[in-house]
Amino acid sequence: MALYTFEKNKEMFVRATKVIPSGISGNKNPAFAVPGSFPYFAERGDGCRYWDVDGNEYIDFLCGYGPIVLGYGYRAIDEAADRQRRLGSAFNHPTPRSVELAEKLVSLVNGADWAAFGRNGSDVTSYAIQTAREHTQKRKIIMARGAYHGSHAWCTPGHGGLIEEDQQQILQFTWNRADELEALLVKFEGDVAGVILTPYHHPAFGDSELPAKGFWPEVRRLCDKFGVVLICDDVRAGFRLDLAGSSAYFGFEPDLTTFCKAIANGYSISAIVGREAFKNAASNVFFTGTYYTAAAEIAAALACLDELERVQAIPHMMRMGTLLQEGLAERARKHGLQVRVSGPPPLPSMTFANERDYRRMQLFSGECARRGVLLHPHHNWFISYAHKEADIEQALAVTDEVFGLVKAQFGG
Amino acid sequence: MLSVADQEEALESQRAVIRARAEKALVLANLNLHAVLPRLEELVKLDAHARELADALDLSVRFAVRGGPFVTLAIGHGTVKTSFDRSARYDVGLLFSTCDKLNAMFAGAPVTPLPFKGFLKLGRMKLFTELSNLLTRYLKPSDADMQSPEFRVKHLEMLLMTGLAGTADIARFDRKLRKVASHLPVGTMLVKVLPDGPSAHVVIREGADIAATNGPVDAPTTTLEMHGVDVAIGLLSKKIDSFAALGAGTVRASGLLPLADEYNALLDRVGYYLS
Repeated sequence: MALYTFEKNKEMFVRATKVIPSGISGNKNPAFAVPGSFPYFAERGDGCRYWDVDGNEYIDFLCGYGPIVLGYGYRAIDEAADRQRRLGSAFNHPTPRSVELAEKLVSLVNGADWAAFGRNGSDVTSYAIQTAREHTQKRKIIMARGAYHGSHAWCTPGHGGLIEEDQQQILQFTWNRADELEALLVKFEGDVAGVILTPYHHPAFGDSELPAKGFWPEVRRLCDKFGVVLICDDVRAGFRLDLAGSSAYFGFEPDLTTFCKAIANGYSISAIVGREAFKNAASNVFFTGTYYTAAAEIAAALACLDELERVQAIPHMMRMGTLLQEGLAERARKHGLQVRVSGPPPLPSMTFANERDYRRMQLFSGECARRGVLLHPHHNWFISYAHKEADIEQALAVTDEVFGLVKAQFGG
Repeated sequence: MLSVADQEEALESQRAVIRARAEKALVLANLNLHAVLPRLEELVKLDAHARELADALDLSVRFAVRGGPFVTLAIGHGTVKTSFDRSARYDVGLLFSTCDKLNAMFAGAPVTPLPFKGFLKLGRMKLFTELSNLLTRYLKPSDADMQSPEFRVKHLEMLLMTGLAGTADIARFDRKLRKVASHLPVGTMLVKVLPDGPSAHVVIREGADIAATNGPVDAPTTTLEMHGVDVAIGLLSKKIDSFAALGAGTVRASGLLPLADEYNALLDRVGYYLS
């Protein structure tokens, strides 16, 4: 096949740089992938595929960085959103859809007695730590080193525009090291409001790490012992592992849980749920935004959660993810390459075992993209319900060829 | 009339401003002595007149700020050697009472340091002044100089090494960037100007211990390639948006990108102080 080129992508990017800082901001800037061998601008999507502005078609294993859980252009969700949009969306008030979605989440999610909605993951992770601070009247927040909880000042991995105080109350420990967490809780006893953790560790530029046996029970015990709020940041993994939330999948009981990504198949909405004991504290935090109650997105979320349940999307994503993970490992082995495949199957991740500088991964990812398979070099991937066996097989055939290129260039 | 509480708040704000100014002066003094002045080493290799001056000077000079940074330059035989070792020998010692005074001199203000050693050799410092003026010419070139392609390459080489060398001081002394530096992955980063421009590299060890060296390095952890002298100058002097350049392909980063990203924050900060 003819390899893809990205001329229109690049032209559009040059146009963008004239009127948008960095051309594309944040993690979607090409600098974080493989500039020159990766699409920059999307044009349209359908199912598990999308097309860039050059007309290149991709089997998409990034799914918009997570939200596309059922597939691009999934009719039931789009119709639900359109129906509400025709009635109106951004009113002076919430619509009954807000209450219906809160009721839905309360009935569905592990440890949920109430729910509230934002637009993006950062909205609700920030709200969660404010709620923890309000509840405990304490200052510090503990998180795992390398974890991503959003782009607000307290947690952004960026550097610009910050002042020292922004992250002064944030403490970090090594994922899976409950002993380190305990040491922080002892050292700062009486000053810690909350512990915020993703259900498993999925850092960029690193392998995904599942919770070690006993880790979550120990975290829960420590939070109870020190009177600290346990926040599960399920923004990335939520509704891909268990409809009751990833805490149900891993078997622990958080106090607050945040969702975004997969909740509405690409419509902009995030949610926080919590236990009854934290409802008053949540009420005391002034949590609002122009579009926090926009009804079309809320209608999309309602439809999405129903549809995920109806079509049994999670077991399907588990099967497809497993097919991909096993297929990658097998093909890498065939070429004499060592890879580490990690993460739960619906959020697979892969790195080359004998490198820390990602050069093999960047070649692999760029060459896959030039052959129509989008696998990010530094970020975990996502499976959607729209990925079928034929898509996985087609993608694996491409990876087979590209593993050969990696072998030829790096020798192992 | 401000209330007592308001007055205290205003005072605290003023104290913060004064602290920030003092910190900025300290970082800048370190940069001037550790990143700017040592560029005389490259200057005498790039410029024949500078070499002649260094040959004629035959002098070692220590510049020091009271209670602050210092550097010793051994100049002679057409070369300049920099030492940050307190026990290094020197013929002439010049003391600046404050970081501000030193920084003012580097900014071109008429500042007279206090000579504390080598009074009889002070006369030769005229040649040093001439040499340092040449350094300024290369680091802060005129539009006329920048018309020359050869000069632009030399300017770039000096700019590159000043920036890379400066990151070590940012990692040590800049309150804001110290935290970023503490997360800096250990490794080597090669900065290369294509197709055949200058290159330099930094070695980053545990504890954000950074050492910059002119020239390439084998098997870098991270590589930053800039296509063309003008792109490189634009990037290093912050006239070009690095993310835009990366997307447009005029700059290419490969390898461990968090190293490039975090290091770039330090490099940016050097520009902030020296601009």
